[in-house]
Amino acid sequence: MKNVAIVACGLAPFGVRKATWRELVQEASKAVFDDVQNLDKKDIDSLFVGAAMPERFAFQSHVAPLVAEQVGIVPHKVVTRTELACSSGQSAVRTAWASIVTGLSDIALCLGVEKMNMPNMLETQTSMACVLEREWDGVQGASAPPFFAMCAQRHMHEYGTTVEQMAMVSEKNHHFSTTNPYAQFQKEIPAEKVLGSPMIAPPLRLFDCSGITDGAAAVILTSEERAKEFTDTPAYIIGSGQCSMASNLANYKSLSTWHPLKIAAKEAYRSAKIGPMDLDFAELHDCFTISEIIEYEDAGFCEKGEGGKFIEEGQSNIGGKMPVNTRGGLLGTGHPLGATGIGQIVEIMQQFRSTVPKERLVDGAEMAMSHNLSGAANVHSILVFGRSPR
Amino acid sequence: MTTIVLPYMLDFYPLQDEDNTRIHQFYASLREGKLMTTKCKDCGGLFWPPRVACPGCNSDQFEWVELPGEGELYAFTAMLLGAPMGMEKDVPFVLGMVQLDGTEFKVLSRIGNTKYEDCSLGMRVKLETYDLEDGRVWFRFVPITSD
Repeated sequence: MKNVAIVACGLAPFGVRKATWRELVQEASKAVFDDVQNLDKKDIDSLFVGAAMPERFAFQSHVAPLVAEQVGIVPHKVVTRTELACSSGQSAVRTAWASIVTGLSDIALCLGVEKMNMPNMLETQTSMACVLEREWDGVQGASAPPFFAMCAQRHMHEYGTTVEQMAMVSEKNHHFSTTNPYAQFQKEIPAEKVLGSPMIAPPLRLFDCSGITDGAAAVILTSEERAKEFTDTPAYIIGSGQCSMASNLANYKSLSTWHPLKIAAKEAYRSAKIGPMDLDFAELHDCFTISEIIEYEDAGFCEKGEGGKFIEEGQSNIGGKMPVNTRGGLLGTGHPLGATGIGQIVEIMQQFRSTVPKERLVDGAEMAMSHNLSGAANVHSILVFGRSPR
Repeated sequence: MTTIVLPYMLDFYPLQDEDNTRIHQFYASLREGKLMTTKCKDCGGLFWPPRVACPGCNSDQFEWVELPGEGELYAFTAMLLGAPMGMEKDVPFVLGMVQLDGTEFKVLSRIGNTKYEDCSLGMRVKLETYDLEDGRVWFRFVPITSD
């Protein structure tokens, strides 16, 4: 299979932004084009826009042509939007990757964006309820926090995981985001502060939850053959896995084991011809603290049930067995749905280039993965990246 | 026919009558206090929620069967902050996944007549139906009390 590389990356600052949806698009576009050398915009033949809910957050559909015009390109091979809720950004990259592998596309821009802060935040909260199955689950008042709260309850019940361990995930990721000027939250949040924050959906408290965030991120992809024209330091896609299992919560096998993650991870490692511990670091989807703990386990970084111990022992910190979420994760950086997956890939590329601040640098990293879950953790998407092609 | 007051952009509830859905029998039964679903006549597959085409064998021949109206709490939490529009007045409310007796289904539901602090894993609950203001019907589960 043809090797595909990320050759440029760029971010709009994440946060509660005094900027519109289309202004975020322009910021990320400027950043990614500032990052690339020798690229004529005319040569970008494909555009993939990751956006989860522009219809609800910005009352705008048909967003791909809007983005094309804002960034100044005329894509003529593939132009589309990818929607997979919280994984919409990674979906854009996955789809671009597939298109380049087949030879259909030559150079693709992937831009992920979400504008979630609205004058009436009740509208945002309401929209988030349709990420679950709205007619049967959302209708009962369920949304992300109650779902992940129940995952936490089951994990605590079955494996003895504690709220203190969950708080340590938040402390770690908020610590990393103090090194990230693009992050929504740039202050230390010690575990005690997490444990003293307002209860949202027990056992989850405010700082167990990622924020409601505006942001955008972009990457440019091309084939291995062309990559060196645009950068000396491409990041190659060397593996992939994705799995969807169940939609209605009634049909879940488990809340404490995420079976679709296990399947996606197995396929990602198989296709990359590696084992989980061959990775040098990972970007995991920590929408809630419990998510990261379950992901340590089901992505294969530790034994089932030992995710709490993994964070407690510092294994997911720099210097541990598997540094996780060095840019600050969703907890520290914020979670603009369509931008998140691409923001993670930006971190991987900047880690490979050693351009991140020293405090969060994984020195000499050769391989990393980005993982997103979407909805009520029923879809898991993984891309594996290497500094060298497969 | 349900009358929807505009704007109804944020209507959470399914349209329930036969002009709008092929599973209107589900809602008619719910009005009688029964939780029904579809069973495939060809492969015997039992699915939640009700279907009009079988994801197992591709048949479209179904019979309605009643699900147990009782079960136990597999998991639960409470919505304390961030409830969707139209549900703010209900806060705080308990949400739970109810493992229906003898089935694989863990139906997500409001758990009424109780507080989060009074719930426990495995707690016995039963179906309760109620009318919405616009005439539609919906369901929740409530604890089974000993008296």
